[in-house]
Amino acid sequence: MIQFDKVFLRYDTGISLRDLNFTIEKDEFVYLYGDSGSGKSSILKMIYLDLFPNSGSVNVLGSDSNNIKRRDIANIRQRIGMVFQNFHLLSDRDIYSNIALPLELQGLKADVVRSKVSLKADELGIRSRLSHYPHELSAGEQQKVALARAMVISPDILLADEPIAHLDEKSAADVLKYIWKIHETGTSVIFATHNEILLKQDPARTMTIVAGEVVKDIP
Amino acid sequence: MMKLSYIIREGIIGIKRSRMPFMISVFSVTIALLVVGLGVLAVDNSLEYLGEFQADYDLEIFLKNEATTHQKQELAAIVRDYPGVFRMEYLSKEDAAALYNAEFGEDVLSLLDDNPLPSSFRITFEEDHRSADYILTFIHNMNELAGVDEVIFKKDLFNRVQGIMQLVYTVSTVTLFIIILSTVFLTANNLRLMILARYEFIETVRLLGASDFLIKAPFFLEGGILGFLGASFSVLLIILAEYVMKVYVHIDLPIKIIHHPEVILGLILFGVSLSSLGVLKAVRKMLRFVA
Repeated sequence: MIQFDKVFLRYDTGISLRDLNFTIEKDEFVYLYGDSGSGKSSILKMIYLDLFPNSGSVNVLGSDSNNIKRRDIANIRQRIGMVFQNFHLLSDRDIYSNIALPLELQGLKADVVRSKVSLKADELGIRSRLSHYPHELSAGEQQKVALARAMVISPDILLADEPIAHLDEKSAADVLKYIWKIHETGTSVIFATHNEILLKQDPARTMTIVAGEVVKDIP
Repeated sequence: MMKLSYIIREGIIGIKRSRMPFMISVFSVTIALLVVGLGVLAVDNSLEYLGEFQADYDLEIFLKNEATTHQKQELAAIVRDYPGVFRMEYLSKEDAAALYNAEFGEDVLSLLDDNPLPSSFRITFEEDHRSADYILTFIHNMNELAGVDEVIFKKDLFNRVQGIMQLVYTVSTVTLFIIILSTVFLTANNLRLMILARYEFIETVRLLGASDFLIKAPFFLEGGILGFLGASFSVLLIILAEYVMKVYVHIDLPIKIIHHPEVILGLILFGVSLSSLGVLKAVRKMLRFVA
């Protein structure tokens, strides 16, 4: 499903990722564990084809980073759900419109969009917030909206970049519970975190990243 | 089909959501096209005024009194077929007398027993044959024809007016070109600022899997609407300005925009393409930046 083959990525400020070689299979739950700046986000960006390696190749859902066309990137992204630390919600749209956006981009009919949005909002307990705007919601609720938006397209892969970093304990627990539930229904999850407690609390395959290198990969 | 409805809806929603930057952009396009429109009209009216200063005709061929009807007909045929002749008007001796009467208020036949005024042809040349050299060649050819007495061509006045018109035309073309360039530059810059304010949206939909086309299309539509509104307002303002000049300043311009749908259409097309392409360029630039 995802394969990194001899991947090097250099930033102007120096090398960011070096010699990454790993494969993530369908249905896997993988933690990318490391400190801030270790390269976790860069790996996620390479998976959703926002960054490309200087050498080596990244294969995502059958498409190779070395010969993928620009229009195919959009198609791949429509099969990947993304949750970010800072939510990336559109502040000038209500919660319904935020969750509906990826479905509208796929050209689905309004009634289909409505039923899918309602379903996800119910699953995450945010139905009563659909007519609100992001700034009217707590951080925990905003992250649930981001999760609903990521999952409303029923993606093959969910990428989560420090999704509970800014959440209180209760919200973090809710979000984690939902992510694990998604995983159990067959979605691959790649979860970037610097929180060691999490790894012990909900163990899974853990790739430890230090200064752009995978130093440990524990299944 | 559903994606088309997304594009239209997003284009309209985009306008609603960024009302202020949109209105500022419409205003800037209005001002820019107002300047262009007024410039075009000012040039056309100046040339028209100068043209009026020039005589209604370029030269006059006076015929000998003894010229026969056959000679006159032959001459008329030659002049009519001469390359570059736009208009030819025959003035009989009686017409000339009537003109004299109208101009000086006296009947020439009451002063003299016989009408001494000659019959003549008044000639106007096509615009691209209106040069002193060409007309002098024409005069030379006419002087050799039977029945022709004299050809009168006010060369100095003609040359002066032609020179002024040429100067006005050149200066105004260069000025208009500079104005249009400034308009394109200022509008593009303004549209870029408008698009910059939508960075959050562009970045988010890009990450959610929107293709470049799907990102650009609503903005392209928005730009088109923006340009159409800006151009329409500028046309309305020009019409209003013409009305104010006529009613309050008592200047009735010979060339008005309302009588020239091609100028109105040109301004609207210019506004629409300037804005939609300007927006498209700004989005493309942003996509290059974020991607």
